[in-house]
Amino acid sequence: MFFSKIWFFLIALVAAVGLTIALVMPRPAARNHGNEEKQRLVVACTVIDILLGDDARNRVELASAFGRKTEVVAALDAAGGVALDETRMKQVRSLATNIIEEEMKGARKPDFAVLIDKRGRVVARVALDENEFGDVAAGRPLVDDALAGYVRDDLWAHNGTLYLVTAAPVVKRETQAYAGAIVIGHQVTNALAQRLVKSLDVDVGFYLGKDEVAGSKTLAVETSPLLDAVKRLSGGEISQDCLANKSFPIIAGKESYTALVARLPGEVSTRQAYYGVFIKRPAALGFVGTLEAVEQGDLAPSSFPWIFVGGGFLVMLGIGIALMFIESDRPLRRLAAESVKLGKGEAERLSEDAHPGKYGSIARSVNIAIDKLGREAKTAKKDMDQLLGPSPEGSLGTIDLLATALPAVRPGGAPSAGSPPPSEFKFHSASTQPGLAAPPPRPAPAPPSARPGTPPPFAATPSSRPVAPPPPPLGIPTPAPSFAAATAPPSALGLDDDILGGAGSDPASAPDVGGGGDDYFKQVFDQFIAMKKSCGEPVAGLTLAKFSEKLVKNRDDLMSKTGCRDVRFTVYVKDGKAALKATPVKDD
Amino acid sequence: MSLPLRLCVVVLGSLALAGQVEAGPVSGKLDLPKELPPREPAATKGFLERAENPLANPRPVVVLPYMVVVLEQAEGAQKGAAPGQVIWELVGESFSRPVMIAPIGAEVVIKNVSKTARTLVATEDDKLIPSGPINPTGSKSFRVAEAKVYNIGDTNAAYLHGTLVTVTSPYIATVDDAGKFELADVPEGNYKLRIFYKSQWLEGTTDVAVGPKKTEVNPKVPTLIASQKK
Repeated sequence: MFFSKIWFFLIALVAAVGLTIALVMPRPAARNHGNEEKQRLVVACTVIDILLGDDARNRVELASAFGRKTEVVAALDAAGGVALDETRMKQVRSLATNIIEEEMKGARKPDFAVLIDKRGRVVARVALDENEFGDVAAGRPLVDDALAGYVRDDLWAHNGTLYLVTAAPVVKRETQAYAGAIVIGHQVTNALAQRLVKSLDVDVGFYLGKDEVAGSKTLAVETSPLLDAVKRLSGGEISQDCLANKSFPIIAGKESYTALVARLPGEVSTRQAYYGVFIKRPAALGFVGTLEAVEQGDLAPSSFPWIFVGGGFLVMLGIGIALMFIESDRPLRRLAAESVKLGKGEAERLSEDAHPGKYGSIARSVNIAIDKLGREAKTAKKDMDQLLGPSPEGSLGTIDLLATALPAVRPGGAPSAGSPPPSEFKFHSASTQPGLAAPPPRPAPAPPSARPGTPPPFAATPSSRPVAPPPPPLGIPTPAPSFAAATAPPSALGLDDDILGGAGSDPASAPDVGGGGDDYFKQVFDQFIAMKKSCGEPVAGLTLAKFSEKLVKNRDDLMSKTGCRDVRFTVYVKDGKAALKATPVKDD
Repeated sequence: MSLPLRLCVVVLGSLALAGQVEAGPVSGKLDLPKELPPREPAATKGFLERAENPLANPRPVVVLPYMVVVLEQAEGAQKGAAPGQVIWELVGESFSRPVMIAPIGAEVVIKNVSKTARTLVATEDDKLIPSGPINPTGSKSFRVAEAKVYNIGDTNAAYLHGTLVTVTSPYIATVDDAGKFELADVPEGNYKLRIFYKSQWLEGTTDVAVGPKKTEVNPKVPTLIASQKK
């Protein structure tokens, strides 16, 4: 089992490592994913800034084209030297409106336009506050630069609306004199925001302080974190905000986003105008999230090393099974087979060396138990022999079986006919008692045909095996031999202490313990007394009650162990002493 | 009236006439340096840098609206008429003049002739201008007690900015687009003419001896440096 344990340890180790990897691997992946998302956000922010720059360039071109219109140049040149009135205003406004409506069809039509004379006065406005004129627009950096001969863009806020404005000077080509300036403005709208992020897979929102001006998507974003991020940017170069600022998580309704903000340049920068780029935060990956993110294509044979995984699994399984077979199944099977042989009696012991490890221990333990049983059986045989003498010829082998282990009687099964249990009789030799006369010679051995259970006839010589007389029928007491009655029991010297202990010394006072067999036990008792007397053994203390009790106990033991129908006791002489043998009586 | 009394009245009257100083106007034209300061960077910048238009050269830098002059008496305390009133107009997205000058004690009236309400605050003294917006056609006035330069701006329009210079002398003048200026009723005497440009007084003064009649002076403006700011 050593290598099996090592293998299981390695399997468990591999599994633990695999589980650890499975739990840990999503984390760096999620981190990388987050970093990639942030990077994507920075890229998107930068791209939006570039797109806004490109848009500004287009708008500058548009304003320049507007300012180059001959009608515009003439109108502003004419207005520059005179007092402005409503008539002139309307004339110029109509002119500008026509240009916007008719000649800017294909271009991005501005949402407002302001025509300014060379003194900085507003000659006319289109679309936005279009009835107002005559005020001085100079002073705004964009207008001042345009009046000075520069084209540029800016961002204005007007009534909570954000405008991308561009200005261009209006120049009389003939004299290269400045006639004024034109300012056009484009409102920052949701459409513009959507167009900016069309290919970026992000969302963008434009804000003026806490107010959202426009966005590619309606996001219920709490603007305080956005403003905090804008404040952290103060002082740096606005064009570098996308790179300088750090993204941060933000909640919009029930959805989580990662946001990056960048200030908007121009006039509105002093009014905390900025845009925020949002990207929806991916669900936390983790182990489960990773599993949920697995697609069918991920498990396709072309993208997943099924052969490697399957092969590895089979190799590990094969090694495990092989180790189990070598170290567990095969030795167990071998031990089981040997146990079966032992059970069948084809083997006396289990071979200890043939079984490795724990199985050898089991075999050794079984062998120790067998040895112990053998020793106990020998001891019992010895006691039985001492009590009863050797087994008579033609008996059921009672004595022979005592030397070997007794097979267990299976419940409901037939008892083994050839293996009766040992007798529990144990009588000490009376010859050891002082004052006893030598036993008389036993009679000749009885013929082998003597019926079991029948008390044997008195043996003439002690050394000869008892020859049992024809036994009486069961339950019918055999008439006592003549010598039995003639010999009175001696003093209490003939039975061992077990039989004598606690009993009265008068055999006649023994209780009738045999029930239906009392006469039989009395008969056996008489024969035994007679035999002991004939052998010169003392019989004092040997009572019928104790004798019968012993016989009953022994009979019951034998009947329970062997399943025999009855037990017959035979009196005989062994080594010059009276002995008693119990013989199981089988059916038929 | 007795003779001695008559003589006394004549002497005192002669003395009194002898103490009166005649006043005359002082006018002139600033002699700008040939090399004007470079154009300052744009106050604001959009997504693009400003670029020159392809049709004409940019206009030269305008410096004269940012200049004011003052005549200060060479010695002694400044004397003159009552300070009077200085009117400074808000004409839209800017002041009528980016730099305005006023004598100490004069009432400065800011009139909003534009169509947008403005809330003006002086950076140096937020209580100089009465609080509250100046509605279109409305005005707010205040007096200054010390010679100082005040930067006044609109809290809602960072580009709207004006500089108010207060001086101890009552003889002040602004400069027109041609660089000309005129100070009326300057008493005879020796003065020093100083020029303020944008945010500070230019180095050097011009001595002016004002006579009983019109005095002409063409002070030479030193080299202007765009970065000459406080």
